[in-house]
Amino acid sequence: MGHHYITEVKNEKFVFTKRSRMIVGGVFILGLILTFIGMGQVKNQDHPADAEHTALVVDAPQHEGGAAAAEEATDAGHGEEHAEHSTGMKRIWANFLLNSYYFMLFAVGALFFMAVNYAANAGWATLLKRIMEAMSSYLPIGIITIGIVIYFGRDYLYHWIEYLEKGLKPEDTGFDKILDDKDWFLNKGWFLFGVPAIMLVWWLFRFILGKLSTNEDANGGTTYFYKSIRFSAAFIVIFAFSFSILSWLVMMSIDPHWYSTIYSVYNFAVAFVTTLSVIGLFTLWLKSKGYMEIVSDEVIHDIGKFMFAFSIFWGYIFISQFLLIWYANIPEEVVYFDARLNPHYKMLFRTNILMCFFAPFLILMMRNAKRNPKVMLIAALIILCGHWLDLYLMIMPGVLHDESGFGLLEFGMTIAFAGFFIYWVLHALSRKNLYAINHPYILESVNHDVGV
Amino acid sequence: MYEAAIRKPLVTGDKSISDVSNDICRPIENKPTKMWWLGFTISFICLTIFVISIGWTVWEGIGTWGVNKTVMWGWDITNFVFWVGIGHAGTLISAILLLFRQKWRMSINRSAEAMTIFAVICAAMFPLFHMGRVWLGYWPLPLPNAYGSLWVNFNSPLLWDVFAISTYFSVSLLFWYLGLIPDIATVRDRATSKMRKFWYGFFSMGWNGSARNWHRYEIVALILAGVSTPLVLSVHTIVSMDFATSVEPGWHTTIFPPYFVAGAIFSGFGMVLTLLVIARSVLNLQDYITIGHLEAMTKVVMLTGSMVGLAYLTEFFIAAYSGVEYEQYAFLNRAFGPYSWAYWTMMSCNLFAPQVFWFKWARTTPWFIFIMSIIVNIGMWFERFVIIVTSLHRDYLTSSWAMYSATIVEVAIFVGTMGLFFTCFFLFSKFLPVINMAEVKSIIKSRE
Repeated sequence: MGHHYITEVKNEKFVFTKRSRMIVGGVFILGLILTFIGMGQVKNQDHPADAEHTALVVDAPQHEGGAAAAEEATDAGHGEEHAEHSTGMKRIWANFLLNSYYFMLFAVGALFFMAVNYAANAGWATLLKRIMEAMSSYLPIGIITIGIVIYFGRDYLYHWIEYLEKGLKPEDTGFDKILDDKDWFLNKGWFLFGVPAIMLVWWLFRFILGKLSTNEDANGGTTYFYKSIRFSAAFIVIFAFSFSILSWLVMMSIDPHWYSTIYSVYNFAVAFVTTLSVIGLFTLWLKSKGYMEIVSDEVIHDIGKFMFAFSIFWGYIFISQFLLIWYANIPEEVVYFDARLNPHYKMLFRTNILMCFFAPFLILMMRNAKRNPKVMLIAALIILCGHWLDLYLMIMPGVLHDESGFGLLEFGMTIAFAGFFIYWVLHALSRKNLYAINHPYILESVNHDVGV
Repeated sequence: MYEAAIRKPLVTGDKSISDVSNDICRPIENKPTKMWWLGFTISFICLTIFVISIGWTVWEGIGTWGVNKTVMWGWDITNFVFWVGIGHAGTLISAILLLFRQKWRMSINRSAEAMTIFAVICAAMFPLFHMGRVWLGYWPLPLPNAYGSLWVNFNSPLLWDVFAISTYFSVSLLFWYLGLIPDIATVRDRATSKMRKFWYGFFSMGWNGSARNWHRYEIVALILAGVSTPLVLSVHTIVSMDFATSVEPGWHTTIFPPYFVAGAIFSGFGMVLTLLVIARSVLNLQDYITIGHLEAMTKVVMLTGSMVGLAYLTEFFIAAYSGVEYEQYAFLNRAFGPYSWAYWTMMSCNLFAPQVFWFKWARTTPWFIFIMSIIVNIGMWFERFVIIVTSLHRDYLTSSWAMYSATIVEVAIFVGTMGLFFTCFFLFSKFLPVINMAEVKSIIKSRE
């Protein structure tokens, strides 16, 4: 039909220049410094809001079995514990969990997206495969950081652990029937071994898919491609189940009395839309540095479509959870949103919806917006900040109640993690060629056309 | 668009453009086959059963059904959700797969969309007749009336349903008809009798295939696809809210919206497979609806089946985890209570059975796919039965616990809607092209 297709791809190699290393490394170190200053600021943070805090707990509904929600208020050892785990330490750990989880999501999200492309026989994103691989190479760091949280920070973050260690009997004061009934799942076995085991399985798949990719580069042929499809399909199934369990253990158990069946899907929505935004950002950055000339607007456009679509998906999952809980108004469930719609968090809660749904929805709706690097950059940054806030709202009210804040600690630690993540990913990217040249769909990606 | 060498052609048998017209118009232009008459007759008998049983219900009242104070929703709402779910594949194929550029949808979207429309008609019957006084069926509409400015309860998800389903029906019908216009014009141009020329001419709305026609057509099609996309999600989301906004154990769970949507797509593809495996061999369309198409659909069935399975397990897990005794009992009662047979039928049909599609043989053997599609249909019917009946029959107040079993009238109405559905489908396959000729012509190899 008179269309000239490109039939050859010249491979490129990304060079992580000394200057870039200095800048990214500098960001990391700056983040570390800010984190330490911030830690110093909050370390001695008292809990002046104790009166308020108690009021909040009293407001919280009583569960059947009596003591449940008011457990902390009625707890005899209340004062001592707080002395042991100061608010400042809790805040530091809460931030560490937030960033560990957030950046781990990009790694596993990229692996998931790669697997989806294989399983769905999708060709358009093949040129970006190395970016996904590089992002997923961060997985071991994610395992380590989350491992640090669950091994060293658990007492500060998950009050059910503290509760279980006390081993209270029904007749004791402070006995909490609900937490006691959950010890078949909320126990150290699942927490300390389940979480790392799940992530190690993911890493195993990352390892296998990476190996197949390397072999494909070296030897060509379609054998590795078809093998990758099989491992990808297996990974998607395993991921669906294991990610659910991980999100319950690491995130939902911060509010151990509360539960929501859609919670794991919600976490998945966060992971997917942020991952796509990060892939978009790396692509745009590489293009601005003169690499990836061959990645056309068409491919960027499709990433934009995914960011747009999955922002809507997040909105859909958000409203499914919020509307149903709000409508039924069952005390055990509304307590979650009650804690997030109080004066301390109300504005953040609204900002979160604005940044994660309305902003990307309106910004990315136009066709030209998805083909304009600047608009894409802004949209991706809004999505990423929005979902950082999303996680903030998932973690902080449960750990710190109304004593959370935004300071150098929050800012610095995120910068440090981001710097480290970017350094790690760019380093991984520089170790292989930029394109999986022997992938059977590489030319589809090169000649991609979104159609309408 | 560039295609990698390893992709297989979507239409086989080296078809030329005129072959496409000839093959697809053949059933319309020739006398119906014996198989068609057989199928049509059986369907029509079932349709008669529908008319009789509904007539009896209207005459005698809802007392002819087995529903009672405790289980106030039985087969009727089960069937309603079942049929609405069936409808989803049509919209998914024409709207979402369009967005994902899945060109294999072109051979199957027409029949799937037709299926959507007939299924929604079947679905609408149940709430309508469950009202008891069907002649007041216009009451849920927000019409100005003597009871207040707008006498409908906008807080009720049942009312949201009225809007969701009527919107869904209108958009699906428009989308389907729009796609038909160029093909009806093709049939008109080939018509040999005056009658055919008149009727196909009437419905083709003066289509002449000009660039201007196509230009308008493509713009409207794109807009309708955009409008349909949220509808795929919204309709079953709102159906799920009929249950999930309540405080009934087993109903009130936040995963319901996406889980119902996945289930709807699952059941919809089950029904598409049931219809197409037969249609392709009866109408000789194996080159258009190829094994590759069947394989792609079975993969969707496997994926959505697993999503539904994940939701079942999540619900079960969270019920146990929640510590709420009522919730825990609702799920134990499902699995081990008096309706456990229904629960395990659901589990085996929806979660376990579709896992056979991991094997290539299962994905590429039409007779086996046909059996599996029936199993999926059965499983998804039971899913709705399990959700509705097991939750209702034993909830908070033990003194109100009751059992429910359907009466012959309820069974007859369900069989009757099957008759309505298949009668419509047989008529469709006789009078309209079951495959979108215009679109398929754009993907056959000889064009390039």
